[in-house]
Parts: sequence; structure tokens; C-alpha cells
Amino acid sequence: MKLLEVLGLSKRFGATVANDRLTFDVLKGELHCLFGENGAGKSTVSACLTGFHRPDSGAIVFDGREVEFATPAGALDAGIGICRQHFSLVERFSVLENILLGTERRSLRFDVGRARARFGELADRLGLAVDPDTPISRLSIGERQWVEILKALYRDVRLLILDEPTAVLTPAESRRLFDVVDRLRGDGLTVILISHKLAEVMAADRVTVLRRGRAVATVRPGEVTPAELTALMMGAEPPPATARAARTKGRLMLEVEDLAVPGPRHGFRLEGAPLRVHAGEVLGIAGVAGNGQRELFDALVGLAHPAAGRVTIDGRDMTYASPAERMRAGVGSIPEDRYGDALVGDFSIAENMALGWHRSARLGRAPFLSRRRMADFARTAIERFAIRQAGPATPARALSGGNAQRVVAAREIERARHLLVANQPTRGLDVGAVAFLYDRVVEAAERGAAVVLASEEAEDLLGLCDRIAVLFKGRVVGVVDASATSLAEIGAMMAGRPA
Amino acid sequence: MRLTPRSERAIAWTLGCYAAAVVAFLMLSGLLVLSVGGSPQAAFSALLTGALGGKAAIGNTLAKATPLLLTGLAAAIAFRARIWSIGQEGQMVFGAITGYGAVLWLGLSGPAGIVVALVAGMMGGAALGLVSGVLDVRFKINVIISTVLLNYCVGYLLSWLLQPGVWGDVGQTVSYQQSAALADSLYLPLLPGLAKVHLGAVLALVLTVVVGVTLGRTRLGFEIRGFGLNPRAMVARGVDAGRLVLVVMAASGALAGLAGIGHVLGETHRLRPDALAGFGYTGIVVALIGRSSAPGTLAAALFFGGLAAGGLTMRVVADIPSSLVTAMQGIALIAFLLAEIASGYRLVLPVREEGTPA
Repeated sequence: MKLLEVLGLSKRFGATVANDRLTFDVLKGELHCLFGENGAGKSTVSACLTGFHRPDSGAIVFDGREVEFATPAGALDAGIGICRQHFSLVERFSVLENILLGTERRSLRFDVGRARARFGELADRLGLAVDPDTPISRLSIGERQWVEILKALYRDVRLLILDEPTAVLTPAESRRLFDVVDRLRGDGLTVILISHKLAEVMAADRVTVLRRGRAVATVRPGEVTPAELTALMMGAEPPPATARAARTKGRLMLEVEDLAVPGPRHGFRLEGAPLRVHAGEVLGIAGVAGNGQRELFDALVGLAHPAAGRVTIDGRDMTYASPAERMRAGVGSIPEDRYGDALVGDFSIAENMALGWHRSARLGRAPFLSRRRMADFARTAIERFAIRQAGPATPARALSGGNAQRVVAAREIERARHLLVANQPTRGLDVGAVAFLYDRVVEAAERGAAVVLASEEAEDLLGLCDRIAVLFKGRVVGVVDASATSLAEIGAMMAGRPA
Repeated sequence: MRLTPRSERAIAWTLGCYAAAVVAFLMLSGLLVLSVGGSPQAAFSALLTGALGGKAAIGNTLAKATPLLLTGLAAAIAFRARIWSIGQEGQMVFGAITGYGAVLWLGLSGPAGIVVALVAGMMGGAALGLVSGVLDVRFKINVIISTVLLNYCVGYLLSWLLQPGVWGDVGQTVSYQQSAALADSLYLPLLPGLAKVHLGAVLALVLTVVVGVTLGRTRLGFEIRGFGLNPRAMVARGVDAGRLVLVVMAASGALAGLAGIGHVLGETHRLRPDALAGFGYTGIVVALIGRSSAPGTLAAALFFGGLAAGGLTMRVVADIPSSLVTAMQGIALIAFLLAEIASGYRLVLPVREEGTPA
């Protein structure tokens, strides 16, 4: 029996067509996967289904009735909930306060005691240990994901949309998520999973493949091979896997000694052997996000004030140098939170490309900033980084996650003459975009930059890096040679067991 | 029929929204006039005559618009950086004090005196702006709070300065505070052919262009706009946030200070608290209506200048209290802010589907 039907749904943003007469249906109790590249329209259709956007045309039939949601609250009342890629949690509020946000709208008083009991019961049933009184800011990314899910379930939804839920989870957490999803489906919940990870997609009951805003096929995973699915998604040949090429090692570019960076949880602390990265070398930082990557990254780019230790870049002590000084010294950075730290959403691509370059003579003579040169600079990047459906004047907020990341990468790799620091640069990107980004990173190393690449995808690091340092609770558990280690060894180190 | 957000603005729709705002403004203001027993038709015709009917009226409008344009620009440049400075009122008065004090202290007159007064006025305003800037950058004291409190401080400073025996005009009673008049040679020259419009109007126009070009086409303006939209990204890409706040607060203060000393040299020719009051706060409204852009602020300042000039005529000719003008300014603010919001939306008409009864 069909729980949800999407009929000819279209949604346009200016000149960008996000959903183009999209049609598919979801059966009651099934795990239905929406599979597609970045910008294929997955997030837009889920936003339409949950009242965040209104479709331009087309219809949504839920439980036999045509529905139209004016607000996310309307969709929730009807029984459709979502866990979004970008968390919608209030960091200063406790877990319980976040759960209650928007729930008890009809009365002036919160019955906190009852809510606490209900929350506890729900968390127990799913086997999720989340303390209701901890503020969100003290939770790891993975724990925040549980809160998002509990928040939706607290509202008794019948259809739960998970928008790339495992993008921020460790492999173990992901497995637990799918256990929870199975349990929920046992209770009669229908789940739409938005993903571009083949392993997850193959576990679904049915898969609808999206390409450029349209549904190109709905298939059962048992009836197609992963390669066929990828071909459907890309509409062309899948990209070749990136191989680790022999790179020549140049002079010492980065040296980190005895560094201590304070942070909200455990910060970052390096003791013993210094971390050294030479020109042409890629140092991987493996570890679950929230284990000190951000603090290390901030100390490398000049956004954190180390309590102790030393950061030497290309022979110069840069421990306390400002971001501007490091940028002038040829340090490029791709931060973890692209819309928070790397882009100005309301700026155009041209203006975002100019960020950090805006005081350089290549974009105009002081005190001016030439619009023509900015546009030219952006056009080069759009071409070289294959940023689709966009021109220099397109605002960054209209870009899909993958295209937004290409803008950041284009800008920062251009800058990274000596050092490129990237923290989780492939988070939320699809296969094609990931491969493209890795290729550019490798190119930067081949051109003579030292690269520090933090990622939770240990498998990717193995194929890409020369050496891998593993972080756990803010400490470097060990540094291993990528050609002499295994996924199992790194996985064990990520859980805190030294090599 | 319903409203949905639009990702890009459409010119025709935006113009339509603003036209609707003007209509709403006229209708609500008309109701206001009716409520005090006046005739809206007579009131608006008097308002229009007083604002635009002939050279003298236009001169009046421009003269009233001049200080508002400068305080409006002062607010606009801060608001673009999302620095919520509402210190234009105090900075303006402080600029008037420092400018007036400088010529008094140095005993200057003539063109040199004018230049010194203007520069000293801008420096005074900038210094007061910097005080709030430093409090924010160094001690994390909210700019809204520090600017509001400084507005009061400057107001009381002026009261004290206008005591007899300080700068107060000898022979004046305490209830009518004012300083001695400036020498004629320190008056800002009037523009030929336009009564009441002084050189300050030209300065304000030039500065409108300067602010517009700075915001739109310079490195500093890029940093200001970016800082307003996402300060974290700007700091990550090498912008020194503290320095930027200081620069913006100084520039904003200088513009407000110029509004103050310009008004003294060009219009009142002496320090008088009542003649300086309100321009700073109205400038905030002007900047908000003008969407914190230079051309928008110019348009809004002219509109408010016209309202002020026409309000006088309205009182004289149509016998309607000119204090209604303040209420009309408020109505204009609400109408234009709503237009600004509405221009970000799209009106979607229901599409009737085949087979469904109409």
C-alpha cells in the first residue's frame, strides 16, 4: 500500500531547476532510498515533503490524501518528520529543550516531567543513551544525530526522512543507526533514506535514482548491481578511482611540536614525536570527528590560540600568526563547516572566490576591487572545477553542497602554494564530487604543497595519503605509513587502541 | 493565493511592493489626518506644495534632508557590517560641540575656520564612535548599549556647556539654553538660487557617492558587507574583525559628526540642543528604509526632508498639527519595511486543476 506519492513535483530557484516533474512513490513500512549526485534534487524534494519549501507545481499525496504544507509544523502534524543534513538544534539548549521546541505549542505550559518520561522511554526503546539535560554544544556530531532522530520520533511521525544521516557518523554508529531504523520499521514506521553511499543504498527495499531533478528509475537493489546503480545516477561512466601516485618529497613545510590547543571537550594535545609534513606529501588525519581535528585545524590556520607548543610553516614560527599572515605565506584551508566558515551564503560565487584574495593586486588596485577581475577569476574556477549550472553572479546559497565545496576548494587550492589543510572536505559529497576533490588535492601536493587532510573515511585516506595520524580524544594515538597499514589497524586506532 | 520565498529578486515585483507601500502610507496617513478632523486632500496638497511646490519649497526640502542624509549614511555603513550602532544622535551632537569648540578655542574665522570646524566635527564624531568600538572590541560591551548610553552622556555634556559662564549666551535664561552666535564669516555659504541650502548639502551628496563606491567597489566595502553577512567566514579568510569594527565605527561617527557641525555652521549658527535633537534617531529610520545602501539612503532622506518641509506648510495652510509628521514618518517606516520583506517573496495564484469544480 502506498503511503506517499509524489506526482510531477517541480521546484525552481531562480534559473536553477532543482526538481523537474519528479514522480515516485513510497510504500508503507518500506525503507526507500533516494539516490543521486549532489544537486540532483534530493534535498529539495525532501524540503518540499516537509514544508520547508513549497513546490512550484505537482502534488504530494500522503496516506491517500493530497496534502500541502505551509510550514514544517504542518508536515509534522500530518506525520512527516525529517533529520536534516544541517542540524537544526539550538546549541545552548539541552537535549530535552530541543526535543520540546515547537512541540507543546498548544498550551502555555510545558509539562516537563511528562516530556522527560516520554523521552526516556523513547530513548530506551531505541537503545540510545542520550542524557536529556546535556546542552547540545557538549555533544559530538554523532550524538547530535541521535537527538535529531529522537526529535522527529517524539512527534509520532509515520514517515521519517533521513537526509544523509551517516555523513557524520562513524562506521559503528552507522551500523547502529541502521539497527535503529530496522527496529522502527518493525514498529510500522516508513523511512526515506537520502544517500549516495552504495552500501546503504543496497540495503534499502527500493531505490529511486535522481538525476538533474528527475527520477530516472525506481529499482529493487536485488535486481541491479552497484555498478548499474552508479551508472544510472551519473548518467555516464563512473569516475576512475583515485590512485596514489609516487610524489617527490620536497623540503619540510609543516612542523607541529608539543602543541596544546584548548577546546570544549578535550581539545588537541600533541606530545612526543612532532608531526612533520614535507612538500609533496599528504598527511592523513584519521579519527571520528570531534576528536581534536577542529582544534588542530584551527591552530594550523591561525584561528585558535595554542596554550603551548609550536607550529612552524616553511621554516617560520607561525604559532601565533594571524590567518592573514598564514594566507600570505601560502596556506590554504578547507574548513569542516563550509557555510559557516568558508562561504558567505548571500555573496555571489565571484565574491566568495574573492574572499581572502580581496586585498591582492590580482583583483584590483588598492583601495578598489575590480568587479571585472573578480568575475574573470570566478569564471576560471567555475571552468577548472566544473561548477555546474552556475555563473560568477550566482549566490553561494543557491549551490548544492558539492558545488559549494568546489568553490571553496578552487579558492583554497589556488592559495595553497606551501600548505593545504582540509578538515572533512568530502563530508556530504557524492562519489563523483569526492573523486574530483581528491584529484585536485593530489594535484596540489604534486605541485609542491604539503597537505594535511582530516577525514572520517579511513578507506579514502589509505588510498590517498603517504602517512596517517590517528586522533582519539584529542591525542595522536599513532602515525602509520599508509602503504604498511590496514583498514582494520586504523579502525582499531580510531577506537583508541595504539598501533 | 499564497506567498512563497523567492531566491532572486525581480525588479517589477520589487517596484510593485514599494508602490504598494506608498499607497498604504498615503491611506494610513489620510486616516490619521481624518482622525484629527482634517481633510486628507487639503493636507496632502499642502504637504506636496510645501515639499516640492517651487524653488523655496524644494530648497526647504533639501535643507531638511541634508543632516538626515549624513546621519542616514552613518547608520547605513554600520548596519551593513551588522554593527548595531545607534549612536548617531550623540555623535552628531558631539561633532557639533567639537567643531564649535575648535573655532572658539583657536579664534578662527573665515574659510579656514569653516574647514577647521568641519574637520574637528568629523574627528569628534569619529572619536565618540571609536569609544563604542573599543568598548566592543576590547571589553565585549554591546554596541547598542554603549551607543545609547553615550547619547545621553553627550546630551548632558551639551546642557552643561550651555550654562551661563561656560558657552552659554550671556543674558539668556537657563530655560532657553544656547551658545553665542558664530561670526557671519563662519556661516556655510548658501547655494546660489536655492534659499536655505548650504554647502553641507553638496558635501552630503559627495559623501553619498563615496559611501556607495566604498561599499560596492572597494576592498574595505567588501569586508564590511561580508562581515555583516558572515563574520566567521571573513575572519577565517584573514579579515581582522577588531580593526574592521573600529574603522566602521570611526567612519560612521565621522559622518554623524559632520551632520552636527554642518547643521550648526549652515543653519542654526549657534549651539542649540533643540535644533540638533532627533536627526540621529531619524537617520536610523532613513537608513532602514533605504536598505542601508547609499542610493536608498539618499532617496529616504529626500522623502523625509520633504515630509518635514511639507509638514510646516500643512500646519499653516491646512491647520493640521505638524507633529503628525512624526507619526507619518513612523507609518512610512513600517510600510517600507514591509515592502522590503514582501519583495523577497513571490505571490502564487492557485492553479485550478482539470476536473475540479471552480
